[in-house]
Amino acid sequence: MKDIARQSMGIKVESMDLLNGQIKMEAHASATYLAMASWCEQNGFFTSAKFFYKQAEEERGHMMKIFEFLIDTGGNPLSPEVTGINHDYSSIVDVFESTLEHEVAVTKSIHNIVKKARELGDIATERFLDWFVLEQVEEENTIRDILDMIAVTGTEGVGLQMIDNQVANWME
Amino acid sequence: MNVVYQSTYYTLYQSVKERCFYVDFGQKMVRMSLCQLLSLRYKVLSISIEDHFDGDLNRHGFEVLMLCNKEHLFVLNTLEVLDLKQLVDHSFVALGLSEERETASI
Repeated sequence: MKDIARQSMGIKVESMDLLNGQIKMEAHASATYLAMASWCEQNGFFTSAKFFYKQAEEERGHMMKIFEFLIDTGGNPLSPEVTGINHDYSSIVDVFESTLEHEVAVTKSIHNIVKKARELGDIATERFLDWFVLEQVEEENTIRDILDMIAVTGTEGVGLQMIDNQVANWME
Repeated sequence: MNVVYQSTYYTLYQSVKERCFYVDFGQKMVRMSLCQLLSLRYKVLSISIEDHFDGDLNRHGFEVLMLCNKEHLFVLNTLEVLDLKQLVDHSFVALGLSEERETASI
């Protein structure tokens, strides 16, 4: 029997499902960072707000990268529904700690897809995710560095203002 | 046309000549591209079968399924939904696009 299905689609449907889940996760991250930018703007952390606007754009870029990969491989990318975005944070430290938690969750999710793709022998998906694996190392490292800077600076006195100014160092 | 998989109520065929698939729904035969078949898979696997056993969540035990850009409309009962889920699962395995056991969830 001629393999019409394989000629039309280059990855496994299980990988496609997981990548659609990742699209949703990236969209959720983008919306979450936008909510953090809003919080920063409203609480006087204007440099941090710029940082989160940029992060929100980056996450959307990641989402589109996966979306386009699914198109290129003949899959069925799904436009994600994004709900349940938290807009409440107790402090700027809380904002960055939540960011790190988010990034760790994204990293775990990507690693899980890589493992599954490897198990399925889906080399295209596995190689496609190489870029994401390294990107996550960088993303986590950025937030960890900011949290280290916050710990060194402290939040007393002009500390908060200094923290906000220092965040500019992580915005290329 | 070759039979890819046959369940109790439905059959999936592959037409090499036309480079497409056909699903025999009993009342009618629906022509589908692989993209449309993927869309069918998504819609069918997204149906919560548990809701069929809860009178509040699905009072009548029916599902309305629209396929191929709203060209076809089907009203399916619980048994038909279960059978269609089985057809989708096994067909993608038979087509070589899925592993023997469905592990991913939508």
